[in-house]
Amino acid sequence: MIFRVYVKFKDGILDPEAEAIKQTIANMGSKSIKNIEKGKFFDIEVDNSKDHLKEIEKISKDLLTNPVIENFKIIKK
Amino acid sequence: MAKEKKISIIIFPGSNCDRDLFVAVEKCLGIKPEYIWHNCSHIKTTDMILIPGGFSFGDYLRAGIIATKSPAIKEVIRFCKKGVPIIGICNGFQILTECGLLDGALIKNSNQLFKCEKINLKVMNNETVFTKNFKLSEVISMPIAHSQGNYFVKPDDLKKIEDNDQIIFKYSSIFGDVSEKYNPNGSVSNIAGISNKKKNVMGLMPHPERAIENFYNGNDGIKFFENLKDLI
Repeated sequence: MIFRVYVKFKDGILDPEAEAIKQTIANMGSKSIKNIEKGKFFDIEVDNSKDHLKEIEKISKDLLTNPVIENFKIIKK
Repeated sequence: MAKEKKISIIIFPGSNCDRDLFVAVEKCLGIKPEYIWHNCSHIKTTDMILIPGGFSFGDYLRAGIIATKSPAIKEVIRFCKKGVPIIGICNGFQILTECGLLDGALIKNSNQLFKCEKINLKVMNNETVFTKNFKLSEVISMPIAHSQGNYFVKPDDLKKIEDNDQIIFKYSSIFGDVSEKYNPNGSVSNIAGISNKKKNVMGLMPHPERAIENFYNGNDGIKFFENLKDLI
């Protein structure tokens, strides 16, 4: 089984990389792009011995995200 | 004879300011610090812990986060609870925020640049053990070298750290003007260095260990380290 953890900046946190990508898209001629938010995801494969959701939540809180600046969402793949 | 005091410098794979810090401590405080490797799970005794700059674990995931899971950081937290003074410089500051010993987070510079330049710092609190020899509002100068030094904290948490006098240094002009013009990285309220509530942990982005020679970046770093004399 694979859990996918999506990590993204919280609203209001400036992401200069996303800003640069947005600017580049504008430079390429696209006029309709209003905003871009960038994130990352982790695919975590677990064995099927038990429900691992709690464990994945703990990993997401303790390691994969910084709660000051980031949110996460977990889906089962 | 008084027992010799011990200053510990924690080193991670990717730390690169540990040697400069060693030299600065030896020069300014007259004692040789000891190096602690990141996988050391028991620090027998220490009177001060320094966490150097660099790129611990390649800045993988987020700057500083992997280092926070090292056995040595568990020891840092243990000594922190005992009240031992702890200073994190640059990547050391990032590690201290990631492990929760300091508030806030350090994110990418708002100008998208790796900033490597000499800046001015205004002393905002001279009542800590780390800054008591400075005058309040004194301006000191030392270099910065980082791409993730943009200090972020939520507005209500900013109020808390302001109310607790936890802001130690702010980026300023040479005359102490703290305005956006002198903010090199987008940090909230020009913050360059903060402490914890108890004032035994301090983190700062600038590098005092790179300002200990007249011919290179000036010597305000000496003043910085001489503050620590009474602690050892």
